[in-house]
Amino acid sequence: MRDYEKYIRYRTFPSPWCPGCGIGIILKAIAMSFTALKIAPDDIVVVSGIGCSGRMPTFFNTNTLHVTHGRALTFATGIKLARPEKTVVVISGDGDAMAIGGNHLIHSARRNIGIKMILVNNGIYGMTGGQCSPLTPQKFITETTPYGNIEPKFMASELLIAARASFVARETVNRPRPLREVIKKSFEHKGFSVVEVISNCHINLGRKNKMKDPITMCKWIAGRTVTRAQYDKLAPGDRNHKYPVGILQEDNERLEYTELYNKYIIPSAQEAARKNGGAK
Amino acid sequence: MSKRKVLQGNIIAAKAALAAGCNFFAGYPITPSSEIAQFMSRELPKLGYDFIQMEDEIASLGACIGASLAGSKVMTATSGPGFSLMQEHLGMGVMAEIPLVIVNVMRGGPSTGLPTKPSQADMMQTRWGTHGDHPIIALYPAFADEIYTETIRAFNLSEKFWTPVVLMMDEVQAKAHEDIEIPEAKDISVYESEVNVPVDLNIYDREIGEKPPRVDFFKGYPIHVDSLEHDAHGWPTIEPNTVHKMQTLRMQKIYHYLDEIIEYKEYEMDDAEVMIFSFGVSARASIPAIQMLREEGLKVGLFQALTIWPFPKRELQERFKRIKKVLTVEMNMGQMKYEVERVAPDDVDDRALLRANGIPLTPQEIYNAVKEFYK
Amino acid sequence: MEKFEEQANEEALARRAKKKPSPKRNNITIVPVYCKGCSLCVEVCPTGTLLLEDNMESKFGVSIRVDAEEYCIGCNMCEDRCPDFAIFVNYEEENNEEGKK
Repeated sequence: MRDYEKYIRYRTFPSPWCPGCGIGIILKAIAMSFTALKIAPDDIVVVSGIGCSGRMPTFFNTNTLHVTHGRALTFATGIKLARPEKTVVVISGDGDAMAIGGNHLIHSARRNIGIKMILVNNGIYGMTGGQCSPLTPQKFITETTPYGNIEPKFMASELLIAARASFVARETVNRPRPLREVIKKSFEHKGFSVVEVISNCHINLGRKNKMKDPITMCKWIAGRTVTRAQYDKLAPGDRNHKYPVGILQEDNERLEYTELYNKYIIPSAQEAARKNGGAK
Repeated sequence: MSKRKVLQGNIIAAKAALAAGCNFFAGYPITPSSEIAQFMSRELPKLGYDFIQMEDEIASLGACIGASLAGSKVMTATSGPGFSLMQEHLGMGVMAEIPLVIVNVMRGGPSTGLPTKPSQADMMQTRWGTHGDHPIIALYPAFADEIYTETIRAFNLSEKFWTPVVLMMDEVQAKAHEDIEIPEAKDISVYESEVNVPVDLNIYDREIGEKPPRVDFFKGYPIHVDSLEHDAHGWPTIEPNTVHKMQTLRMQKIYHYLDEIIEYKEYEMDDAEVMIFSFGVSARASIPAIQMLREEGLKVGLFQALTIWPFPKRELQERFKRIKKVLTVEMNMGQMKYEVERVAPDDVDDRALLRANGIPLTPQEIYNAVKEFYK
Repeated sequence: MEKFEEQANEEALARRAKKKPSPKRNNITIVPVYCKGCSLCVEVCPTGTLLLEDNMESKFGVSIRVDAEEYCIGCNMCEDRCPDFAIFVNYEEENNEEGKK
């Protein structure tokens, strides 16, 4: 048995995702990162919301929690606050992170709570049949944009950089080894960390947009992947179709939320209690 | 030596929560329940416990459920619009069998309604607000000392039956400052469940009607908890027999134990010919009305429900054997009166005194309504 | 097989034609019930060791065949890229994570 298989529950394999779907690659990369960091399976909890990427937790051999749409970060906040020493991972798709869950995303970044988030960006709502998402590129045809999508997409990592998240990285499923490395670094980061992974949904997004097999769609993603240095050299008008990859923002100075809480709130409260003669 | 203090109703509930062992509060401010959050923000850190103000009510219940699964005893507090937002996660708490206490201080509705005025208009929403088939336990104290004891009972019931419990209050009692004798720690009993994760991770397996075992994360066995319908292991399933069994298990774990859950108080009911059925602030107003009626020789009594859901059907039906006139008194346009009508036999004259304009019903109005029976 | 699958096979064979068998013998383990024949490993293998084939016993109709194991250089790209945990390189070796960087 491979060492990373220790973190996998095979259960109902073959896995529920379509042939060639990048979610399985992300699942493996996360398992490999757990292995490299040697965290005990019971000290990890993986939380996810609704969607294709939300089916990942049942296949991790750790504590796992599958919750309502868009709210995985709130459950993870409660767990992290109650048990700050545990590793809390959140897996979100397009809708969970950027549509219904958008508010919780920016608040988690603001709080710098030590949750490790993997944002699976495949540009579509796959589980529900292929409706557009806030991450669907403009002009694409989907089930709810039959005449072409007129809404520009969010650049999720850039939004998080603006929200001052203390660790933001982006990778794609074409690059499993850098993906693994960056996930491992994000797990080692103390504060709120997000790894946005560009993934391929050739069945729901690609098929309506001339990319109906995984190889073609992966090549399309590779064509849009650039390094940070290359991206900075592009003229602003050319940047729209490109995804810079790598660690995009890293701030190791900011204190993580539970550290702040234990460092300031509890001592201040206990000082106040002493002055007033104990808790009332 | 127990202490007599003058305290606001919200604070009484918060203190009782601390006495019951609450060590996690995630909430969002909303009139008229914000004092609970403010109290918790001061007191929980003094004990080294966790308080967080989340970005909305949905996030508050999410954080509470997460912390409950991580081993904390959790509570949140809200009012009408916030309670509506919390419905989805309340359903998740029922589906995944998670203990938590939600305080709903009722104010005028619907929607933004009357933020600073009382009502009793969330009775049915408490029972049916979240979608799907689900049982619910809801308690509703009336007097200041009952706020204390019912809050502790809410925590005990949620720990025993592994389910969310709604503690209902109304804006009158929540905001009123009343004097109350805080019981000593030795005089209250707090139920602590034992954590017991089965080795084979069969976390929901039990006979129909049995109380569920307690399972938490981080107890040595990595478990899966799901908001999807699941089998005994927690894995998602659509197999019809399994689904039916799980639905029945969740219903029966409440309905099999009505004796432990249903509580009520009675005033002057021994020889009553007319029964007033009420709760909360309306029950408090009924007592002076009964005193006025008794002075005229009219045999009237009060059945004050402390447990609102499950509805005290058997208890009422017992009384309907000899009492044939009932008046439901509630501050809404008619909610619990339908329950009373449902359980009352045909020969019972059931009427209701209703009002939903933000002004509590007065003893004089209740007195007048009862007098109607005698015309 | 679909057109893109045939094309993947052709390109794999073209890559293999430019290589020689590997000096170190590596072995490839396939888990047939997990393999969905998605073609990602065929496309990523630098020496064209793997090919797709029609397979009526698989519920996906297509699966992977190790066509020329002697050409495998043990780079592990197929294992890294497989979404279904269906292919392993040198499965019996221990310390796989540290060994393959």
